[in-house]
Amino acid sequence: MAVVSDLNLISKYGNSVILICADRLIAVDKYLPDGGTMLLFEDIAEAKVKRLYGNAVFKAEMKDGKTLDLLRFTYSTTDLCDAVAHFINKVNEGMEIEEQIEIVRNTYKNLRSFCPKCGRKLASPDAPCMNCKGKGKMFEVLFGYIKPYIKPLIVSIILSVITTVMALVPPYITKMMVDDIIPSKNEKYLIITIAALLGVYFVQYGFGALRAYLLRITGDRIIVDLKKDIYAKAQYLPMKFYDKTSTGSIINRINSDTTQLQNFMLRITQEAVVQFFLMIGIIIIMLAMDWRLALFSLVPVPVVALLSRYFGRKLSPMYRRLWRRSSSISTILADTIPSIRVIKSFTGEERAIEKFDRYMNDWMREDKHAAKTASMFPNAITFFVTCGSLIIWFVGGRYVIDGTTDLTLGVLVSFISYASMFYNPVNFFASLNDSYQNALASTEKILDIINAEPEHNFGKGIAPKFIEGKVEFRNVNFSFDRSKKILNDINFVIQPGETVGIVGTTGSGKSTIINLLMRFYDDYEGDIFIDDVNIKDIDMEFFRSRIGYVQQEPLMFRDTIFNNISYSLPGAHVDQVLNAADVANAHSFITRLPNAYDTTLGERGVGLSGGEKQRLSIARAVLKNPNLMIFDEATSAVDSETEKLIQDAIDQVIRGRTTFMIAHRLSTLRKANRILVVDKGRIIENGSHDELMALKGKYYKLIQIQSMSEKVAADKAAENFE
Amino acid sequence: MARNFVDPNAVRFTVRDKIFVDAQLYTGETFKSLEPQRLFPISGLMKYISLLDEEGNEVMIIRDIEQLMPDAKEAILSCLNERYMIPKITKLIKRTEKFKIWMWTVDTDKGIYTFEIINSYQSIKILYDGRILIKDGNDNLYEIPDLYALDKRSIKLILPDV
Repeated sequence: MAVVSDLNLISKYGNSVILICADRLIAVDKYLPDGGTMLLFEDIAEAKVKRLYGNAVFKAEMKDGKTLDLLRFTYSTTDLCDAVAHFINKVNEGMEIEEQIEIVRNTYKNLRSFCPKCGRKLASPDAPCMNCKGKGKMFEVLFGYIKPYIKPLIVSIILSVITTVMALVPPYITKMMVDDIIPSKNEKYLIITIAALLGVYFVQYGFGALRAYLLRITGDRIIVDLKKDIYAKAQYLPMKFYDKTSTGSIINRINSDTTQLQNFMLRITQEAVVQFFLMIGIIIIMLAMDWRLALFSLVPVPVVALLSRYFGRKLSPMYRRLWRRSSSISTILADTIPSIRVIKSFTGEERAIEKFDRYMNDWMREDKHAAKTASMFPNAITFFVTCGSLIIWFVGGRYVIDGTTDLTLGVLVSFISYASMFYNPVNFFASLNDSYQNALASTEKILDIINAEPEHNFGKGIAPKFIEGKVEFRNVNFSFDRSKKILNDINFVIQPGETVGIVGTTGSGKSTIINLLMRFYDDYEGDIFIDDVNIKDIDMEFFRSRIGYVQQEPLMFRDTIFNNISYSLPGAHVDQVLNAADVANAHSFITRLPNAYDTTLGERGVGLSGGEKQRLSIARAVLKNPNLMIFDEATSAVDSETEKLIQDAIDQVIRGRTTFMIAHRLSTLRKANRILVVDKGRIIENGSHDELMALKGKYYKLIQIQSMSEKVAADKAAENFE
Repeated sequence: MARNFVDPNAVRFTVRDKIFVDAQLYTGETFKSLEPQRLFPISGLMKYISLLDEEGNEVMIIRDIEQLMPDAKEAILSCLNERYMIPKITKLIKRTEKFKIWMWTVDTDKGIYTFEIINSYQSIKILYDGRILIKDGNDNLYEIPDLYALDKRSIKLILPDV
């Protein structure tokens, strides 16, 4: 096999190659001595990838102590080079070559997943191609939302056509009045004509009101559907999406972008149709009245079309920039309002205001820029359109004065009315570009969510009847992005019912192991098995329903205590909730609250102490009777007394269940059957407390450090007491 | 823990294996294989350089590279140049879009390169000092030091995304 890099050894873009055979490698780069080198695996002590910043180097540490740089590359090739380094090391350890080649092949497959039909890069090898699924195209997506309401929309269009036709009648009646009825002094016809006009106005405005009602209701339904879909889609998006997208930006998309889009959809389905028919109708009437004047009135149309194109091109980038600014404002809001306690505690009010002002000013500046163009545009159009009616006045007026044609004053007045009506649709289509560009910017953002790859296997995959709780990690590697590897070659097997402690310093990768087990991130290399079934083959909904997860910071909803506990098991019987609260040592403090289980918690559980919220969180996890329990530093943020209460609760909960416990206080792990010590993304020690103490390695050191600090704390407490 | 800031006049650095330096203090104390890393790789290229030992523990900090003696400055800069790679874009040659994935072909101080931008709204950021930072689909970074110093066509192509 061969890996082609995109950099040479002196960090310039170019291609270098590393060829891997069963027992040797050949590196080719013009900056290597003699342009290349050949190394036997048996001479290599360790092959590794050193991640630098924006690039990485494939290094070989030779048995004679030398280190050779063989290949340099950007992050685009890092995963593959990692796999190759792993291959060389494992082959050197005597592992099966074919098995190791398969690992490299899988890494390559993951990197190069393209849709065989359209060539688009896929999110994962088995992911469906969003383009070929028919989504992703703006109009197709929009039509999908309009389709269910096609009937009321058609009725509305019919009503629009009727009101449009009615709108065409008055100018013709004006012509009749000016040329025939008033000069002939026929009062009877005058009254009949006025009555007819009244009827026309009644139909025009009555049907107009009905149409407006239908449009509003239909528009509301479309937007409700759209918002519901975006929100629902957002629930199933992977954690990776949320890691990269701010909450404010998502809220902005659900709220203002959908409204923007709704306005545009209604303009397209309603106004555009009406204006089109109006334009055609007027052209026919004008041609029938006087074809020469009709042609003169068309003179400004090409100018309007050209202007519209010109302004459209100018406006499009402006709206995109404007969207960025308004999204930044939403992000600031979503960031600062929930953190108001922190702001107040650090007297950061002024800084927060200053920052918000700066972002608002930035938006204002951009909007001012866009407003100049956007305001100039319709007025420029109107100016040319008005010039069109001046031409008609000039040419038509001369015809009437000269009397060389059969054009009467009534026809001219009526023609002018039609001409001004004709320029409305022209104006409309010209300015449609403006709202199209605006909607386009919003649509792009909405499609980001609608077309984003959801979590895999939700509602798909197998659902085993019973989960015993055997957990295995096999050759698992993971990085949030390619700049830093978080987990490195993680391998362990946990038997059903075992309690496993995961320890390590902050940032060592403990929580990431849990994140992968919970399937918050699915794009890792290697495999994770539950009862010998790959977790990627199990229905994600079922899988997560079998895990009880208690986080370091328990999150509560703004709801009653009862509803917060029963969130894990909707429809749970009261007895079940009481039992769960009891097991979690929460029942006694709940009963002391005036409203007991009916107590409504504030946002994120305001009103309860950290320990109380944690016990509710345990009750919530227990209620669904999971097969696997995970405690992610569940006792790290509470005092010793509360810790004991929580620890007692945990002891009750974990009986008979495979349990993972990440604990800050190592003393809480003494009951664990097994302890995994994680350091810099690797498991460096694996065994029972006694075994690891005897080993006198990292775990031993951690215990020593913690015992010392606990002793110091105890001595200080004793001094104060004395 | 107190930081060990280096006295720029009392230290000598020599390069060892491209990204590592050996440090010798005038007190006679020596440190081998230290890895210089910027504490502010985006906002402060010449200031606050942390020197880490093989375990990743910080041994000392250089407050300002400019204050070092010429040889020491050269050694540290050589290591940093070897480690850090944020190509500076000098021209946007081509910009195409397919299925909301942007493909940029750019000329940089490291040569011509083509990369993908998965989401232009999240991947292109304007920094406080007006520089533009771009992250491609593979997490590689690129920098435009001054948008308005680029040619007109490049500005026109980039402007809608910033």
